[in-house]
Amino acid sequence: MLAVEGFDKFFQALLQGIPVGSVFALIAIGFTLTYKTSGVFNLVFGAQAYVSAATYFELHVRRHWAIWSAVLVAVVVIAPLLGVLLERLVFRHLRGARPAAKLITAVGLMVAIPQLFQIVANFDREPSFGAVGIVPDGRTVYQLFGRYPLTRDELVQFVVAVGAAALLASLFTFTRIGLRMRAVVESPRMAELRGINAERISAVSWALSSLFAGLAGVLLAPRFVTVQPSFFFELVVVAIAAAALGRMVSLPWALIGGLLLGVLNTVLARYVPSRSIIGQNLGPSLPFLALFAVVVFSPSIRRDPGANDPMATVDPPPPGIGSGIGDPRLKLAARLFTGAIAVAIAVWGLGFANDFWLLLLTEAVIYAVIFLSVTVFTGLGGQVSLALASFSAIGAFTTMQFAQRWGTSVIVGAVAGAAIAAVVGALLSVPVLRLGGIWLALATLAFALFFDAVLVKFSWVGGTQLQQAKVPRPLLGPIDFRSDKSFLVLCCVVLTLVGGVVVLVRGGTTGSSLKALRGSEVAAASIGLVPWRSRMIAFSLSSAIAALGGALLAMSQGFVNYDANFKPFVGLFWLVLVITLSSRTVQGAIQAGFAFRVFPQLVLIQWLHLSPTWQFVGFGLAAVSYSRHPEGLLEHGQRRLLARFERSVEPRGRGAPGAGAGADDVASASAAVGLGADREAVS
Amino acid sequence: MSLLEATGISVRFAGIIALDDVELTVEAGERVGLIGPNGAGKTTLFNCLLGVTRADRGQVHFDGREISRLSVHRRARLGLGRTFQRIELFPEMSVREHLWIAERTRLGNGSVIKDLLGRGRPSRPELAVCDEMLALLGLGDVADEPIESMSLGKGRLVEVGRALMTGPRLLLLDEPSSGVDRAETAALAQTLRDVQRERGFAILLVEHDVELVATFTERSYVLDFGHVVVGGPTADVLRDDRVRAAYLGAFDGDSTHTRTGASRPRSAVSPEPAGDSGGESTEDRNRS
Repeated sequence: MLAVEGFDKFFQALLQGIPVGSVFALIAIGFTLTYKTSGVFNLVFGAQAYVSAATYFELHVRRHWAIWSAVLVAVVVIAPLLGVLLERLVFRHLRGARPAAKLITAVGLMVAIPQLFQIVANFDREPSFGAVGIVPDGRTVYQLFGRYPLTRDELVQFVVAVGAAALLASLFTFTRIGLRMRAVVESPRMAELRGINAERISAVSWALSSLFAGLAGVLLAPRFVTVQPSFFFELVVVAIAAAALGRMVSLPWALIGGLLLGVLNTVLARYVPSRSIIGQNLGPSLPFLALFAVVVFSPSIRRDPGANDPMATVDPPPPGIGSGIGDPRLKLAARLFTGAIAVAIAVWGLGFANDFWLLLLTEAVIYAVIFLSVTVFTGLGGQVSLALASFSAIGAFTTMQFAQRWGTSVIVGAVAGAAIAAVVGALLSVPVLRLGGIWLALATLAFALFFDAVLVKFSWVGGTQLQQAKVPRPLLGPIDFRSDKSFLVLCCVVLTLVGGVVVLVRGGTTGSSLKALRGSEVAAASIGLVPWRSRMIAFSLSSAIAALGGALLAMSQGFVNYDANFKPFVGLFWLVLVITLSSRTVQGAIQAGFAFRVFPQLVLIQWLHLSPTWQFVGFGLAAVSYSRHPEGLLEHGQRRLLARFERSVEPRGRGAPGAGAGADDVASASAAVGLGADREAVS
Repeated sequence: MSLLEATGISVRFAGIIALDDVELTVEAGERVGLIGPNGAGKTTLFNCLLGVTRADRGQVHFDGREISRLSVHRRARLGLGRTFQRIELFPEMSVREHLWIAERTRLGNGSVIKDLLGRGRPSRPELAVCDEMLALLGLGDVADEPIESMSLGKGRLVEVGRALMTGPRLLLLDEPSSGVDRAETAALAQTLRDVQRERGFAILLVEHDVELVATFTERSYVLDFGHVVVGGPTADVLRDDRVRAAYLGAFDGDSTHTRTGASRPRSAVSPEPAGDSGGESTEDRNRS
């Protein structure tokens, strides 16, 4: 009897998991499709799903369109259009770009597109209505076999998802374009050599993939309370986790991976005690855990995406980043100029600024500290971490906990926070850093989302007193940092210290080892450099710096404002901002700090009278430039300026060797051609 | 006991035998060649010795120590240096920095703590050692040039210098002649001989260019279909009929002929991928 009941319970959970699982499968298929045909890890996927879902609700619920017409516009028109636009305008030009460039571009678009949509469509961030499905009375419950309850929405999800998958399967089996797509999925280079227009195929798969995203978005929306970008953002993780279960190459396995995730979700929810924090959050965090597990424990998917393509090595290696050696006098002049500006801002801030500007200035300095962690890990380490905000949150929460529980000075708390973040970073790096590149980024993303969904809710991290707990400003012996001006001075001191640390590390063994690893990992290993060791130090240091900045931010605001400051999404934007401007120099981090805090106020609100949301759109879209100017827009601009200046000083001389980024591009391109020729020379 | 001893090395890729029970030894201070047609398994064997790929069966001993399970960097520290067929330099570093970071790694005395105390920058003795090596390789005048402006031949020399800074007892050269003209190849061979005389390390040379192997090495192995076909003094090996049949075709002493002859079947459409091509190409050849 008991056994039957147990089976019943299990079967019920299984059955409930299938509808969601089938939509997950759709997502995984859509994701794999673009990954295989264009090599892009499409993090924009969630944003695409969001746009369709939001369009549907705008049309159906707000404007009272009929369901079929709203679905038609949102899913069949808007979604593929968005996909084709993305392919045409952005990702087509990134063929052959380094994976990091594709990733950063995708992260930027992931930030920009939902915001842009909200502005253009005038769609509220938190609409006051709940989401509805694509059938009337979606919440009606049917009893399957008399005892397994399923809602109408769930049934529709299942039917539509299966239908879409079947259509895709028949497209692949019976049509010419389907056959070609399969060829491109197998080996893009080989297909091209056979005369298949890979670009057209790529456009078609982007349209299809986007269609799937839109469909999934509209189908899944009833699960969420409101139509918010962040919910759909998590779909990306589901997609990647399921696709990773399918080893990123196989569409049928991606389908199975999606189903599996959906079923696992409901089955686990049934068996884990629902009162515990783990029980309550396991469901939402399951995809992250699955992704983390797959990425870390399955060695085969970690291989270079090109490794499966026997023709991948035909392409010349991507050009390196020119370092550019300019005239030292000019460099000195540029430094003096920057210094003068810094002094002018400091004098103005401490002497004349009102409270509002003082606060902005202080936060700009604090963010500069946080952004230095990007300088360390991305600029020096050449890796991308998407868990930046979570490490900042660790610093902020530790400071808060120390002050609340033991009444210790916030300075002790901040230092402890940095230490804890360093340890967490080091621990996380053990399984993660071996991955490298895009997998490392994904594992950190999974960690960030897990931190956000589960860890924050524990009372020893953030808990429920999250918003109330006060974080005082520091007192250091006789020195009182409670006034705004003295606190600004303290932040500047911290910035100087951390900046000094970055410069020292960059010039020393660690920095040089990282530079070597960034240049060529195989060559670095061949001289005995241990790849993970320097990276672990960089990750640890970068985590500590982020935590220190987070602690300062909490002190500045008087409490830990997690939702506004430390959500994973915010961390992604930080990353995009810093990398787009310049992740290579301390100066770049400081400029990014000002761009984040002062620029929107000064330019967007006071000068252009625009919503600050445009900041996300602007910098998100600017990330597209990263593939062309990996040294960062600011540094690129500076180099160009210097090059022009040098040319005007030296009339018709040797013309500024390697000073301009343009000249670097040419040099590295010719180097690449030289290496390519090395292979051709044999034949 | 030999410096390097590989015994019974077998590697399979998805059921295709890339290497089958391969034996190879290198004595201290010796120059040994490893030749064979494309897809014979040369690169796979090379990778097994260096730890890039793990052999399915067999053992590699270096200086009496079993190293088959060690990672690439551990082997490097034990004294296995290498250069790359497709040049692998650090794009953001000058020539001198390439040597310096190798020297610093060899000394193993750098740490993040020292960096933070401001003692991480290149020290004078380290730079002196680097300059000595630069002079030895004739790279002194380009020491501060960015690596991207370097010719392929110079780049190869930088790779050699970087490998030598680790103090190797065995230097593995992966097709150093590829992409470099004959004069440059000859110059490289001469430089290597000179440096070797001074430092006394052994060299294992994987090569297409039969002329280079003939003039440079004392002993050679010929690989074909994952087997060692012949091994012995280079002059004898190149005269062996089986070698001519398997690899050289109409070998008449003209190296350009043999080079093109040996590599055309694959490289016309698909140059050998940098990694583990041994298996596939064996398959290709079986099919044809």
